[in-house]
Order: sequence, then structure tokens, then C-alpha cells
Amino acid sequence: MNAEEINEGSSEFEQRTRQLLIESVEHLPAAVRSRLTQARYAALASRPLWPRALSLRWAPAGAAAVLALLLLVVPRGENPTPSPPVGASPEDLAMLTDSDALQLGGEQDLDADFYEWAAGEAALPSTPSVGT
Amino acid sequence: MQAFATLLSQTTDLLPPGKVRLRDSTQDSARALETFLAGVERKAFRIAQIGLRNEADALDAVQDAMLQLAHRYATRPPEEWKPLFYRILENRIRDMQRRRIVRQRVMAWMPFQGEDEDEAADPIAQAPDNAPQPAAQVESDEMMRALEQAVAELPGQQRQAFLLRNFEGLDVAETAVAMKCSPGSVKTHYFRAVRALRAKLGEFHS
Repeated sequence: MNAEEINEGSSEFEQRTRQLLIESVEHLPAAVRSRLTQARYAALASRPLWPRALSLRWAPAGAAAVLALLLLVVPRGENPTPSPPVGASPEDLAMLTDSDALQLGGEQDLDADFYEWAAGEAALPSTPSVGT
Repeated sequence: MQAFATLLSQTTDLLPPGKVRLRDSTQDSARALETFLAGVERKAFRIAQIGLRNEADALDAVQDAMLQLAHRYATRPPEEWKPLFYRILENRIRDMQRRRIVRQRVMAWMPFQGEDEDEAADPIAQAPDNAPQPAAQVESDEMMRALEQAVAELPGQQRQAFLLRNFEGLDVAETAVAMKCSPGSVKTHYFRAVRALRAKLGEFHS
């Protein structure tokens, strides 16, 4: 028996075996079909959400964004509160923190004539006061 | 319905093109994978069942193959899925066969061999079905059992080549990928498998 004879003869044989196997698939028990469906859903649930190629493409950009965010958020080791000027006296600090002094900043309270007079007085140290 | 479709297409046009493509491709990929798995799962189960001669083991093997394919190869082109899936499944079947052989050897050396409760056959399932069956169905069942027995007794590669080519319908190139061998080897294994089956099931063929 040569190969050609076998191939010709096996054609019908192959069709018959294929038909039998396919029929056996169609008559699978319901429990088996149910288990296969569950297995399929489990497999689909385990599928990675993001394609690996996409993850690799965006990984450098993501890492750079995280780094930039960290640099903005994390303190750089400097003291955020300003230190008092060197040589400042306690009276100066008290004046700065005085709530009444803050009102000087308002334009409605600014008395320009008074400050001009006070500056002139300061320029004449030995001028006797009125009435002395 | 048509108005809804029109509205949907108009909404899609308003979205940035990149987002639409990404969302659609993800959904399409999931749908394609589900369609593929639904299409192969029953044949895969029968192939595993013939190789392992055990329903529970066959279900486990198919589930493992599905999980591995979805987890590792879901991003591959869909036309590559089938050979990859059957390669994974065959590896799993062989692992289980080896484990079973080792277990049988170990059990042979044990002084007391009690029946494993998990392995014990269910007496209800084993009970013969007394319901009357058509003669054609009985004959078909007998032929199926004979064929299954004969295929299971084939050497591993012949069994794989026969089931993938004849039952699953893979072509020679796909079968070669699934079996990790050359197309020429596939043809040889398949030819030998058919010859061996014909020798065993001569009366079945006639």
C-alpha cells in the first residue's frame, strides 16, 4: 500500500472521524458547558486593561509627570517662614505685629502732612519744642 | 434605532480622535477575544478530555490555557491566537499526564493504597442508563468510544497532529506553530496517526 492509496482511502475515514468528534462536541453536558463559560469569563477578567505596548510607550511620560509633581509638592528643605531681619529690636517686631499699625497701610488713613512735619522735626535734632 | 445610531456616530465625531480609537480598540479586542474563546472552548475541552481521559482535569486544562492566553497573549494579533492557545493547552495536558504518571508510581510503592475520595468515581454517574436509546445513537456512541480510545492510545505528537488537523481544522502551518515543529513533521505525524487509526478501526471505517 503506497501513500497515495492511503491518502485516498483516508479521506472518507477522516471525514467520518471528524463528523463523530464534532457530534460529540454538540452533545456536551450542560454542566461542562457552564464550566467552560465560567472559565471564559474568568479569562476575560484576567486580561490586562492596558496593552503592554501602550504601557511601554507612555511609561517615560508618566514617570516624568510623577517626578515633576513630587518636585512641586515635597518641601525643598528651606524654612518657609521669613526670618526676622538681623539687628531688629523687640520693639520693631512688636510694632510690625501690632494690629493698629496695619491700618497705616490704608490710603484713607494716610496723613501726608503729619509725616512731612515729623520728618522735618527729625532733621532738626536740637530744636526746642514750643513753649519751652 | 436608526436615530440612535446617527446620534451615536455624531457624538463619536465630537470626541478627540485618540480617545475614540483607544476606547474602541480596547472594546474590540475584548470582544474578539471572547468570540475566539467561545469558538474554541468546546473542541479544546474534547481534545483535553481525549488526552487526559478525565473530565475534571480536562476542564482545568482548558481553563488554564484560556487564562494564560488572555493574560499573556491578548495583545497579539487574533490570527495568532489559535495556534498559541493549542500550544498552551498541549503543554498543560502533558504536564498533567506527567504528574499523573509520577503519582501512580508513588502510589505503587505505598504499602496501603486507599481510594482517594476525590478520585473515587461517582456511583450515580457510573450507573448504566437504562432509558431506551435509538439503535443509531447506541452505534454512534460505541463508535465514538472506540475512536476516543484509539486516539488516546496514539503517541502524543500523532494524537496532537490528528486532533488539530482533523478535528480543529488547523492548517499545516498553524499546526506546526501549535506543535513547535516543522510543517514536514506535522505531515508525517498526521499520516502515521491516520494509518494507525485505520489499522485499529478498520471495521469502523467500513
